Amino acid sequence: MMFEPKRLHPISAIINFVKTLKDAALPLIIVLVLNGNIFSGEVDWIPLLIWIGVLLLVLGAGIIRWLRFTYRMEEGELRIEYGLIFRKKRYIPIDRIQSLDFSEGIFHRPLNLVKVSVETAGSTGNEKAEAELTAIRKEEADSLEEAIFQEKKRRNIRPDDDTWDTEEAQTEIEEPKREKVYAMSMKEIVMMAITSGGAGVVISGVAVFFSQFMDLLPVGTIYNEILDWIQISVLVIAFTALVILLVAYGISIVMTILRYANFSVFIDEDDLIITRGWLEKKQMTIPLNRIQGVRMEENLIRQPLGYASITLISAGGSVLKNDEHQLRLLPMIKKAEVGKILTKVLPDYDVVDDFHRPPRRSLFRYILRHSWFGFLAAIPISIFFFPYGLLSVVAGCFLAVLGWLAYHDAGWNILEDQLTLRSRGIIKQTYFMKKYRIQAFYKKQTYFQKRKHLSSMEVMLTSGGGRSLASCYYLEKSDTEEMMEWYRVKRVSEKPPEE
Amino acid sequence: MEQQPTQRISQRARTVWRIYGWIQVGIILLLTIGLTVTVFLWDWPWWIVLIGLGIALLEVLSFVWLVPSLRWKRWRYDVTETEIDLQYGLFIVTRTLVPMVRVQHVDTEQGPLLRKFRLSTISISTAATVHKIPALDEQEAERLRQSISSLARVAEDDV
Repeated sequence: MMFEPKRLHPISAIINFVKTLKDAALPLIIVLVLNGNIFSGEVDWIPLLIWIGVLLLVLGAGIIRWLRFTYRMEEGELRIEYGLIFRKKRYIPIDRIQSLDFSEGIFHRPLNLVKVSVETAGSTGNEKAEAELTAIRKEEADSLEEAIFQEKKRRNIRPDDDTWDTEEAQTEIEEPKREKVYAMSMKEIVMMAITSGGAGVVISGVAVFFSQFMDLLPVGTIYNEILDWIQISVLVIAFTALVILLVAYGISIVMTILRYANFSVFIDEDDLIITRGWLEKKQMTIPLNRIQGVRMEENLIRQPLGYASITLISAGGSVLKNDEHQLRLLPMIKKAEVGKILTKVLPDYDVVDDFHRPPRRSLFRYILRHSWFGFLAAIPISIFFFPYGLLSVVAGCFLAVLGWLAYHDAGWNILEDQLTLRSRGIIKQTYFMKKYRIQAFYKKQTYFQKRKHLSSMEVMLTSGGGRSLASCYYLEKSDTEEMMEWYRVKRVSEKPPEE
Repeated sequence: MEQQPTQRISQRARTVWRIYGWIQVGIILLLTIGLTVTVFLWDWPWWIVLIGLGIALLEVLSFVWLVPSLRWKRWRYDVTETEIDLQYGLFIVTRTLVPMVRVQHVDTEQGPLLRKFRLSTISISTAATVHKIPALDEQEAERLRQSISSLARVAEDDV
């Protein structure tokens, strides 16, 4: 048991320093620039002194903050005391701790340290009872995790008894065993990086460049030096833009690879653990009972290749906000394999394949919904930029095709207590949801839909600090009613399978 | 034919909504008066004033005359032991189901105008959503808030 207050590893003073410096970088750089030319020997001493002074101050603050920060486990609470000027104490009851997430940055790796983020259940509300231990030794982090695990276990055994004695409880705790359920291959990671959203931009950029290039070639044979010169400069600009685009694309690929390298998913009793990263290692822990639903996404590039990505919708998840808004369980996977892996991770979710589709008469509505704005905008554009403006009609048609795709992909399915909704904006999304996780059910019908016996529906899930909406539009009215009945019937008797 | 929820909101809601409508019309009229002055001062085209008057007239027709009573007619709700069932919306008729298990807390609120008409708005929050029943009778809202919060307390929270 850890009773005595502990400090973080001294390196966290440096990390604090760097972090503050990063935030204050701009004013410092300005001071440095105003300083004039250092290398010419004409140094203006006062700004330089200010600069050094600020650096020392920031460094000092980092050190003091490190000195003041202590943490300990006491009376079933994680107690953190910190604060430079105002002393703050934050006590987090162990019961409320949902998970400890570990991550290792470049400072952490060589010294075998980790950053620990404490995530609590309170993140859905406004209170933010979370904490961050900037850098502690890895063994210490493990023993902290172990201590919390034991504490929770003991509480579960005797919930009313607060005076617990140590020996008895410790004997019955067995080592938690991790089971690896999924690992992403390097090939898949590279594939994912190449087909990411940035790819579309780059491909269109290349297309524009080559169309320019083709245009320019025959014109270049005209013996007009000035014209030639203009053309070449246009070419140079276009080429530079292309190179910048390609470099940006390359960087984003490398970043994605670094970030997702060694991506693996483990199951540890009631927790799901995701680890990933090369330079910076991340470990995220998601309690299985916090998972609200599953979303499968297929974008326009990956869908034809048969790839999809799976995202978990989880209540709480303050840690995720900093780096990515989404909790990717399977960032990119052959669609055919989704079911196989999902049954290992979340056995009670079924990947269904047959859907009830919206009726034929809603096709027009889908097309209208997606393209009315495009066509409307095309009218003034065509009039004002007469011959070329007519091209905007093509954009309208493209939107109409998207509308047709949306109609084609929409669908719903109910399997026991699971509702599956599929819809498409640009990305095709399939939501898998359990009845007892759905926060609210909306059935919507406009006057015109009523005449055609059509109706739309939406369901709301909790996710992170916010919400997540799954919908299906222009269904047969009886279909939405069926779903509504499904949602309301027997809700009381059937409780979620807690364990 | 599926059945609608049975409870209705207070009749006085229509009056309050009408007053809101008049307030909007008043704002538009003030703007129009301002425009009229500028038309005289700087020789702006006079039809700008007509647009302002037109909008005001439309608002009288819709937000004062038509919308409040239609909206009142559409608004229905039911609160049972297991769920909250709402129906509302003018053009898009929305039916919302919220299981009692999901309710996190219930609030009632009252602006000056609502207080004058002894009405209050009740808002029911889940972990992800907020649902409002506007303009219930004060006592009814009070009663409803208490019953929802006690019903929600019985139901186990597991988000």
